[in-house]
Amino acid sequence: MNDGRAMRANGLSTPAAAAVLLWISRTVLGLLVSYPLLLAIKASSMTAGPEGDSVLFQPGSLLLLELLRLTAPYLASALQLGLVLLCLSAIIQLIPLAVALDMLSLPGRPLLERLLRGLRLFPRFVALGAITLLVQAALLLAASLLGAALKPALASADERLRSVAPIALMGLGLIACGVFGGVLDIARATLVRRASGEGGARSSIAQALVCLKQRPLGVLIGVYPSVAGSALSVLAAAWLLTRFVPVQASGAALALAFAVHQLAVLAAIACRVRWLDAALGLSAASD
Amino acid sequence: MRRVTQDLLVGAVFSALSIWLTGALLHSTGSTRAPLPSAKKTEPAWPVLADSAPRVASYEIEAKLDTERHRIVGRETIHFVNRSDAVLNELWFHLYLNAFKNDKTLFLRSPFGAGRSGDKAKEYGYIDVKKLTIRAGDGQDLWLARDRHSPNDPDDETDLRVPLSTPLAPGGALDLDLDFEDQLPELVERTGFVGSFHFVGQWFPKLARLEPNGAFAHFAFHAQSEFYADFGDYEVALDVPNAFSVGATGRKLREQRAQGRTRLVYRAENVHDFAWTAWDRFEERNERIAGTQVRVLYPPHQRQNAEAELESVRFALPHFNARYGTYPYPTLTLVHPPEAAANAGGMEYPTLITTGGPWYSTFGGGHFIDVVTTHELGHQWFYGLLASNEHTEPFLDEGFNSYAEAEALETRFGTASVFGGFGLSVSSTALNRLFSAARGADEKINQGAAEFATFRSLGALVYSRTAIVLETLARVYGSQRFNHALGVYTRKFRFQHPTTADFLGVMQSELDSRAVTLLTQALSERATVDYLVREISNAPISAAAGVFDGPSGREQKKPEAPHQAAEYASRVVVYRHGTLQLPVEIELGFEDGTKQLRHWDGSGFTFNVDNVGPSQLVSVNVDPELRILLDDDRSNNWLSSQGNSSPLCRERALYAAQLLLGAWGP
Repeated sequence: MNDGRAMRANGLSTPAAAAVLLWISRTVLGLLVSYPLLLAIKASSMTAGPEGDSVLFQPGSLLLLELLRLTAPYLASALQLGLVLLCLSAIIQLIPLAVALDMLSLPGRPLLERLLRGLRLFPRFVALGAITLLVQAALLLAASLLGAALKPALASADERLRSVAPIALMGLGLIACGVFGGVLDIARATLVRRASGEGGARSSIAQALVCLKQRPLGVLIGVYPSVAGSALSVLAAAWLLTRFVPVQASGAALALAFAVHQLAVLAAIACRVRWLDAALGLSAASD
Repeated sequence: MRRVTQDLLVGAVFSALSIWLTGALLHSTGSTRAPLPSAKKTEPAWPVLADSAPRVASYEIEAKLDTERHRIVGRETIHFVNRSDAVLNELWFHLYLNAFKNDKTLFLRSPFGAGRSGDKAKEYGYIDVKKLTIRAGDGQDLWLARDRHSPNDPDDETDLRVPLSTPLAPGGALDLDLDFEDQLPELVERTGFVGSFHFVGQWFPKLARLEPNGAFAHFAFHAQSEFYADFGDYEVALDVPNAFSVGATGRKLREQRAQGRTRLVYRAENVHDFAWTAWDRFEERNERIAGTQVRVLYPPHQRQNAEAELESVRFALPHFNARYGTYPYPTLTLVHPPEAAANAGGMEYPTLITTGGPWYSTFGGGHFIDVVTTHELGHQWFYGLLASNEHTEPFLDEGFNSYAEAEALETRFGTASVFGGFGLSVSSTALNRLFSAARGADEKINQGAAEFATFRSLGALVYSRTAIVLETLARVYGSQRFNHALGVYTRKFRFQHPTTADFLGVMQSELDSRAVTLLTQALSERATVDYLVREISNAPISAAAGVFDGPSGREQKKPEAPHQAAEYASRVVVYRHGTLQLPVEIELGFEDGTKQLRHWDGSGFTFNVDNVGPSQLVSVNVDPELRILLDDDRSNNWLSSQGNSSPLCRERALYAAQLLLGAWGP
C-alpha cells in the first residue's frame, strides 16, 4: 500500500502524516535519551515513598534539592550519557526527516520505498548537518569573541550596555545560526527533490545559498513562523500547566500534563513541517 | 511576496504571544502555599525594652577624605569608661585597616577564595596612628610604648596593646586623643575605593570590647572573622569634595559648604561602629517607613533596584519590629554599591547596610535584592542590637539572622522566597537545608570564626545549619512558640552582648530543658540525626488450624489461605542514627487507603510500629510534614509497596528530551 492510500484511509493529509512520523520518531528517541536520567532518579530512593515522585515537585523544592544533593554524581553521569544519546538520536532523526521531506515532495509513494530512499540520503544528510554545525559553531564563537573584545572598550560605558552588549551579540549569533539552519533545510529539500544519487551535500548547500541570494526574504522570513510557533507552543503549554494543572502523580493530572506537552510538541512539529514544505518550494523555485 | 508578508505577520503574532507568556510565566511562582501572616503588631508578655546601652567607648572623629589619593586624615577622641570590675593597666586597639597593609598580614596571607571577600587587595591599605595622648594627663604620647605587632604574630598590626601610664580603676574614665591617617586599599572586604566610589568601614583606631571581668576581647583581623565592640555614642565630622554624596551611620546633624568642600556631621547613639560611603555618582530615594527615615543610595540606572530595596524594608522593618523589638534608631541608610564595587555589598553596620546586585537583579523570578536587603536589615538586631562576639560565636549573629531572614522572606513570599517562576519555587529553607546537609557534621557550629577549616565550611554551618537548627526547633515546638521565645531573647538582651549561655537560658525558660539539650548538641557537639526505615512486614492472622476437641466433639480445621485472612499483623521498624533525639511523626498507609499517624519521642535507637487490622500496611513515611530538617538523608524516610515510582519524572523527562531533540535535531 502506498502512503497516499494509507493516509486517505486514516484521514490524514500529507503534511499531517509527515508531522505524525516526526512526532513518533521524536517520542521514541526521547524515551531513549531520558532513560539514564530516570534510572539515576530511581536509584536515589527519593521517589520510593507513598507519594512517589510528586514530592520532588512540591512548592519550595526542598526535596528536589535533596535529590540533587544526594544524587549529584549519578545525575551528572546520567546527564553525560543522556547527552551522548541525544547526539546519536539527533543523527538518527535525520532518517525520518528525509522520509518526511520525501512525503512532502512527492506524495503517493510506498512507505518502504520512502524509507529506503531516506536511508540512501542519510549519509548526505549527516554531511550537511556536520557542515551546518561547524558553521553555527563558528558563528557563535565569533559572537562570543566579539563580545569579549568589546569588554575593554565598554569599560567606562553604562553598566547596562556593558552587560547587554555580549548578550545581544550572542543573540545575533543565534539568529544567524537560525538563518543558516533555514539554509540547511533548503539544502536538504534540494537533496530530496533531486533524483537518487544526484549531487552531494556541498552542491546542495551551494544551491541553497543561491536560493538565499535570490530570495533572501523568503528564506529569512520563511523560517520565522516555525521558530516563533515552536517557542509559543512550548510557552503556552507551560502557562496552561502552571495555571490550571496541579503537579500530582494522580492519573488525571498526569494524563492532562502528558496531553498538553505532547500537543505542544506536535504543534512545534507542525510549524516545522509547514516550513519544510515552504523550503521545498523555495528550492524548486531556485532551480 | 504575499507569502513573505503572511509569514512575517504570523511570526510577529507568535512572537508577541511568546513574550506575553514569558512575562506571565515569570510570575507563576509555583508556590501553592500562601505567604504566612506577618508578625502581630503587639504581643503580650514581652520583656520591657531597654532604650539605651551603657556607654563604654564613645567616639568623636574629624575626618577629611582625599578622593584622589584615597587617603583620610583623622583626629579622634575616645571617651572611655572602665565599666569592668578590674583595674586596667593597658588598652587594646584594633587597627583593622592594617589587615590590607601587605601580603604577610593575618588577613591577606589567608588562602583566598576562602575568605569573605574572595579577592586579595590590589592596592594596599593601612592606618598610621600619629599620636595617642590622655587629655587630662601629662601629654605623654602613649602610642610610642605600644606593642609593635599583634600578639604572637610579628607580621600583623591589627591588634595592638598600649600600656597605660596610670592604672584606671573600675568606674574611672579617660578621654583619649588620637591623630591618625588612613590609606584606603582598592576595595577588599567591604573597605576601600573603586574609581571615585569609597566605602569606608573599620577605618579608625578602635578600642577592643572590654568584658565585665576587665579583659579586652581583642583579636587580630582574620579573613573569616567579623567584629566585636562596645556600645557608645559616635559624633563624626566628614569632610569631602562638594560633588560627593555621603551616606553614614546615624543621623546628619549639619552640613556646611566652603572652598569646594562639604563638611557633614553625623551622630549615632547606642551603637558600636561607624561606617560611611562617599561617591560623586550616587542617586538617592528617601522614605519614612515605620517611623524610621530610610535613605537609599544607589548607582545611576538602578532605580528599580532601589525601589525593590525600599519595598523589602517596607515589609521587613515592621515585621522585625514586631518579632524582635522596635528598631530604636531614627535613620536607616541602604547603600547599593556600583557593579565594579560589588565587594562592598552585603554588609551590615549600625543603621547602615550595603546591598548589591547588577542592574537587572529585579528581572525574572529571583528575589536576590529582597534576600540581601532582608538579611542585612535583620543584622540591625542580630549584630546591631544584640552585639554578640562575632569572632568567637559567629553563629549568634549570622546564623540567627539567616533564620530571621528566611522566616521574613517566607512570610512575605511563601515558598517562592528565593525564586518563583516558570511554575517552580525555591524557598530559603530549602536552600539552607541543602547547604546545611551538604556539610552536616564536618565541624561544630559553635566555634570561633577563625577556627573553621574554610570559609565555605563556616558559611554552610554558621549561616545555613544554624538556621536549620532553629527552623527544626520551630517546627517541633510550633513556630509561634519558638518565635516568641526568640523574641524574648532579642528583647531581653537588647543593647547587650549576649552569649550562647544567655540564649540557652531563654530557651530553658521559654521552651524546656529538652530544647536546651537539643540546641547544645546540635550547635556545640556536631550532633546529627537520620531517621530511616528498611522494610515493611505483614503477617496474616489466621484462625488456628489443627484438631480441636470441643463440646460438640472433635473438629479438624484446615489452615486458611493467606488471602482469606481476616486480619494482618503489620510491623515497620524505624531506626534513628545519630545522637539527636527529636520527636517524629510516622505516617502509615494501608491497602484500603486509610492512614494512621504514630508518634515517636525519638528516645532509643529503634521504634517498632505495630498494627493489627483488616488491611495490610503498604507504605510508611517518617516525618511526613518535613519537621525534622536536620534529618541527614530524606531518601531513606519512606517505603511503599508500589516500589520506586516516578511517573511525573518520566513524563517531564520525555518532554524535555523531545524539546531538546526539536531544538538541536532536525
